[in-house]
Amino acid sequence: MIETLRVGAIIVLVVLGLFFTFVSATGVLRLPDVYSRAHTASQADTLGAGFALAAVALALGFGTTSYKTVLLLFFIFITNPTAAHAISRAADEQGIEPWTTDDDRTDRDLYEASEVETDGGVATNGGEQP
Amino acid sequence: MSANSLLVPVSGSSTERQTVKYAVRRVLDGTGEVRIRFVYVHPPDRTQETSPEEVVADAGLSPEQATRLLDRVAVWAREDAGEDISRLTVETAQIGLTEYLFSPEDLATRLVEETEEHDIPHILLDPEYNPGIGSPLLRPLEYELTRFRECTVEEAPAQLRTRRSPLVIRSTPVQVGSLFLVSFLFYQLLAGQLYWFDLVTGVISATIVAVGLSRVTFHRNPSLRSLSQIGRLILYIPYLLVQIVKSNILIAAVILHPRLPIEPRLTRVRTTVWGGIPVMTLANSITLTPGTLSVRVDGRSLTVHTLVPSAREDLFDGGLERAVRYVFYGRESMKIASPRERGDTKILQPIPGKSDGSDENESPGETGEADETEVSDDREASGDTETSDDREASGDTETSDEQGGEQT
Amino acid sequence: MPVAFITGDLVTDVFLGAAALFMLLAIAMFYRAIKGPTTQDRVLAVNVLGTNTVVILALLGAGLGEPSLLDIALVYALLNFLMAVAISKFTVERGGVL
Repeated sequence: MIETLRVGAIIVLVVLGLFFTFVSATGVLRLPDVYSRAHTASQADTLGAGFALAAVALALGFGTTSYKTVLLLFFIFITNPTAAHAISRAADEQGIEPWTTDDDRTDRDLYEASEVETDGGVATNGGEQP
Repeated sequence: MSANSLLVPVSGSSTERQTVKYAVRRVLDGTGEVRIRFVYVHPPDRTQETSPEEVVADAGLSPEQATRLLDRVAVWAREDAGEDISRLTVETAQIGLTEYLFSPEDLATRLVEETEEHDIPHILLDPEYNPGIGSPLLRPLEYELTRFRECTVEEAPAQLRTRRSPLVIRSTPVQVGSLFLVSFLFYQLLAGQLYWFDLVTGVISATIVAVGLSRVTFHRNPSLRSLSQIGRLILYIPYLLVQIVKSNILIAAVILHPRLPIEPRLTRVRTTVWGGIPVMTLANSITLTPGTLSVRVDGRSLTVHTLVPSAREDLFDGGLERAVRYVFYGRESMKIASPRERGDTKILQPIPGKSDGSDENESPGETGEADETEVSDDREASGDTETSDDREASGDTETSDEQGGEQT
Repeated sequence: MPVAFITGDLVTDVFLGAAALFMLLAIAMFYRAIKGPTTQDRVLAVNVLGTNTVVILALLGAGLGEPSLLDIALVYALLNFLMAVAISKFTVERGGVL
């Protein structure tokens, strides 16, 4: 009885993990600019990985190996948003403008608009660095 | 008269005696009546109705202790003045008791106000001055003060010039010990079984980590207060998880929707969370909560990219901010109003139809085109225009970039 | 030494099947990594791919009864994070030391 419950829980968790990772993948492919992509990459993906790892932890039961799963979960929850922040910050620093609803430029246009500015920005930075 | 007066913030540092001596000599070099005003600035924690345990913690002094410190400094100053005592007026004051001074920026503003109020154009900073406001990673006070034109700032030339920078602070045995314990436990957790080989290698590597890295890991001794913070952090995690799952479902619906009904906007929120780790926790929580992504952290103000309006509303209601305050400053601090009520929110990109959203920006399309035309003749200038136009934080954009770089 | 902790074939199948699906999602990330257009888009895609790889490793570890794969997953998770931060930092101060 407990065993079937456990198996059921594992299956549910794996399916949830797959679902959210699917959402994250769709978001990364579908969303219009780097900032919105960073949203799903950091969030839906973290949750998806969280569910899948929870399933693994449940399957392994108590023991040294499932501690590692919990540790992995902890790392992913700390590092994923930080990485997303670093990436979007780098984009911001390069002068890439966030896309807005009424904007008809594509992400490539936004990038090319920024690329020129980036060169200027780097030159100014270099000049002002102590 | 005012030209020969000095404002000296004191914090009970080791070089204070020399600073006082220098200050007195410096004002007495001038002629006529001279004034020195010593001020003690209370860190923000003291200004709240905190529980007794929290008053003991942290670097701040109680009002009585501060009075004693100021009296001592005033006695030193009179002593140094010698026979010129008749020309010297020594004043003391305590500030920060009735207001929140969260960051070096706030402190600088307050100090400059003080100089204007009392007609003292010079500020003399002790080289070891540590107001206990803002972590070493936040923009330092000296930098903030130089942004004001109304007064001049000078650093006293103390003999013991051990300038404090975050990387050269001496670590205490408690710091080394706790880091050793944490890394040793982590090593054993990874090793899995308690076998003599793992114990020996664990001790060796934990020693290396503790000796080598304790200076960058802690800024002050871990105390019982950090333990109670960890306790509240454990309460915070389930709350955060619920938030994550709830809003993830919402965002999943948006992303899988055939029309993709998103309305992304960049917003700026000035939070009432101060210090390195609390701000980091808040920024990371904001990023983890779907629909909001912290793009930039400058001291207390966060630039947040929001994907849908509902996420934006949640952000402005400040639920996460309140929870983070609860974790780091205790229950009382939850009473601080939400960012929306404080008026600390701003949408940086215009919303079509809602003209009140942002008043100071042209539409992004225009900015882009303007830049591109400029680019052809002058690259550098266009780079500058871009930043200042778009972020309305002109002036300090460059430096804040460098600042935040350290934080990541 | 593999431990016999998996209770039934069903769970094994679920884990291996899920790992296969995760791989498909990871491969989809290559589209964004190749197309870009910004460097940040590529880093982002590779970061998501890395997270997926970690999950795949964990699922395989559970499905195949190889707990040592979890250690690899741990290292991979940390490297993945370092990769994202290092490249982001590098693109900002191009030419500067990390």
